[in-house]
Amino acid sequence: MIATAAFYVFAAVLLGSAALVVSARNPVHSVLFLILAFFNAAGLFLLAGAEFLAMILVIVYVGAVAVLFLFVVMMLDIDFTRMREGIQRYAPVGATVGVILLVELASVFGSWQLLPQSASLRGAVAPGAVSNTAALGDLLYTHNVLLFQLAGLVLLVAMIGAIVLTLRARKASRRQDISRQVAQRVEDTLVLVKVGLGAAVTEAEFQRPLPEPAVAAAEPHGGGHGHGGTHAAEVR
Amino acid sequence: MLPVSLGHYLAVSAVLLVLGVFGIFLNRKNVIVILMSIELILLAVNLNLVAFSATLGDLAGQIFAMFVLTVAAAEAAIGLAIVVVYFRNRGSIEVEDVTLMKG
Amino acid sequence: MNWTLALPEIALAVSGMAILLFGVLRKEESGFLASMLAIGALLLAGVLMTATGAGHAYDGQFVVDPFSVALKLLILAGAILGVALSVDYNRAEGIGRFEFPVLIVMATVGMMVMVSAANLMTLYLGLELQSLSIYVLAAFARENLRSAEAGLKYFVLGALASGLLLYGMTLVYGFTGTMDFARIATGLADPMQVSAGLIVGVVFILAGLAFKISAVPFHMWTPDVYEGAPTPVTAFLSTAPKVAAMGLLLRVMIGPFGHLLAQWQGLVVLVSIASMLLGALGAIGQRNIKRLMAYSSIGHMGYALIGLAAGTVSGVRGVLVYLAVYIFMSAGAFAVILAMRRGGRAVEGIADLAGLGRSDPALAMLMSVFMFSMAGIPPLSGFFGKLYVFLAAVQSGMWTLAIIGVLTSVVGAYYYVRIIKVMYFDAGETGFAVRPATLSIVAAGSGLVTLLFALFAAPVVAMAEAAARALLG
Repeated sequence: MIATAAFYVFAAVLLGSAALVVSARNPVHSVLFLILAFFNAAGLFLLAGAEFLAMILVIVYVGAVAVLFLFVVMMLDIDFTRMREGIQRYAPVGATVGVILLVELASVFGSWQLLPQSASLRGAVAPGAVSNTAALGDLLYTHNVLLFQLAGLVLLVAMIGAIVLTLRARKASRRQDISRQVAQRVEDTLVLVKVGLGAAVTEAEFQRPLPEPAVAAAEPHGGGHGHGGTHAAEVR
Repeated sequence: MLPVSLGHYLAVSAVLLVLGVFGIFLNRKNVIVILMSIELILLAVNLNLVAFSATLGDLAGQIFAMFVLTVAAAEAAIGLAIVVVYFRNRGSIEVEDVTLMKG
Repeated sequence: MNWTLALPEIALAVSGMAILLFGVLRKEESGFLASMLAIGALLLAGVLMTATGAGHAYDGQFVVDPFSVALKLLILAGAILGVALSVDYNRAEGIGRFEFPVLIVMATVGMMVMVSAANLMTLYLGLELQSLSIYVLAAFARENLRSAEAGLKYFVLGALASGLLLYGMTLVYGFTGTMDFARIATGLADPMQVSAGLIVGVVFILAGLAFKISAVPFHMWTPDVYEGAPTPVTAFLSTAPKVAAMGLLLRVMIGPFGHLLAQWQGLVVLVSIASMLLGALGAIGQRNIKRLMAYSSIGHMGYALIGLAAGTVSGVRGVLVYLAVYIFMSAGAFAVILAMRRGGRAVEGIADLAGLGRSDPALAMLMSVFMFSMAGIPPLSGFFGKLYVFLAAVQSGMWTLAIIGVLTSVVGAYYYVRIIKVMYFDAGETGFAVRPATLSIVAAGSGLVTLLFALFAAPVVAMAEAAARALLG
């Protein structure tokens, strides 16, 4: 009884927040509603006896994916009002497609039946005595080891992809180069200027490192050599 | 075992799927919301898998749901990386005002 | 458990990671070396494949049979051509990073898993491994807006397609209670028991996979992505992934859903006809050669689908021969496109080919071979590809399909011949920049295969026949 009530609560909040995800004016709100949707989906998972998945959903989605979304939304400086321009135009098309799809699915799901012999076809019958997590663990690392490894490769590709696309080696940033620091000699950095009595130091003799050239940042990889040494610079 | 009938779960999942597809049509300009809509579609898939898994008394559905979660996380990472690259080149994330390629 | 059946995939994945480490640890620019290592790794996988046996492994989730072996050889060939084509272009465009070959290797692992899938989960993970790598490759020229846009479009539509595919898979699982292909096939042995829900699931799966082979009506991404992505990525995209996705489509539709042939046959016929028509008509007005190749590939996938629609041994054989022929024609044509450089920049207009017949007769000759072959003119390889699928359609009594196929290839011949006309009869600018050796080798090699296919057609067809028999049991 309580479980049934909980189902309706979770389902209602899930669908409500999902609707707000796609219709909110501000993407930050969308992300927050997405988090709410995930929490409620986790509740539905829990009711169906999939405890481990429910926890994973909260940890992976709320903890990582949604935060990633939030991070990107806030990192990119986006003009949100312009984003909304097309909505009136697309809403009818989207709604039509959605309603047709929903009607079709409803006609199918109204009376879902299993294949009569599906019980004998099952490949991974749930053991009664063990907890959900232990049972999944038993299956995951034995019968599904190939898939487990493939999932690892998928994550590796995601890592490579994210790094290769977004990491910019900033030549302009001043990173500490210890070997260069150690190899530094007095002559490289210090110039002794003899100043005559009563005379001033002429400007041209001031020496200071130039900023790194900005062009180096545009180069893709390697190529740019760090600018050591010092340059005579004009001081205005 | 499900607290309600399988049909209830399938209905929730179907509505979620439709909301996801609708979101892609509705937010043609905003790629980030499109990515979130895709997450909703994958959530619908997982809900289906869990519901079927509970009804059938078979754990393969839950194992699959776990892999779907993994891939969805990877997909989100790559999708957002591509969005960032696009933003850096264009200065906006609108997909629709793209006139560079038409045909 | 017979884990050695997946030895080629394991070796390829491990070498991919080794190349990654090599590239990361080596401080200098290592795009070229990494590419050579990747070609070595792909060759190694090919050699290992001849050494592994056949059978099921990993709890029945992975299958090695003549069908998967034939497709994997094609995939490896496509990947090797793809890496070879990328080396010089990437260096010239300043994107010659070592991650490029690593991603191609990872995508290849995914494709090999796809065609060996004997389970819905294996299918999905292989497909995603391939897709995710290719999304990144399409956006690889990250300083270039068009490339970023191609990556974005491909990603959004691809992710939607895999979402629908997944939804279809859940329905199949929910109806039959299993994800194993063989068990699904036994469960569905009696089509009378099948519910509407399962049919919806099969349609979703078909739609998701049709996206991957860019068949109409899921082709919208193709012209934009082909045009925007860096040209070597386009070349790769039009070879190995097409083979893998078509192989997967054959395996899924004929394996677990083989008993439902009557239910999905009409749908495949429709998709096939629409793709052939769009491929022929859409290409006519194009000025950009990469866009033209996109429409051409849509059309070619339409022809290959004729074989699936037939659903017989000779149909599957036709598809395999078609794919074998297609990857070499396509790689060769892209080698010529990659050679189109003028003043340090790549040019992509069809008009830029003008005068090539005089300025570079060898290249113009090779391009003519590829274009005539794509048009299906005997005795070039493209003719045999079409011959075997049309034959299969006629044998299954699908006359309409065969006739529409012949008609659209006549229309298609128009724009292929137009390119030859531009090369030989239009006055044009001076020739292209000196082309790198790799492009010459790939173009000449593919040209030879295309030109002399008739000489070794018999063993290829025999292999395809054995593969088809293995699939249909």
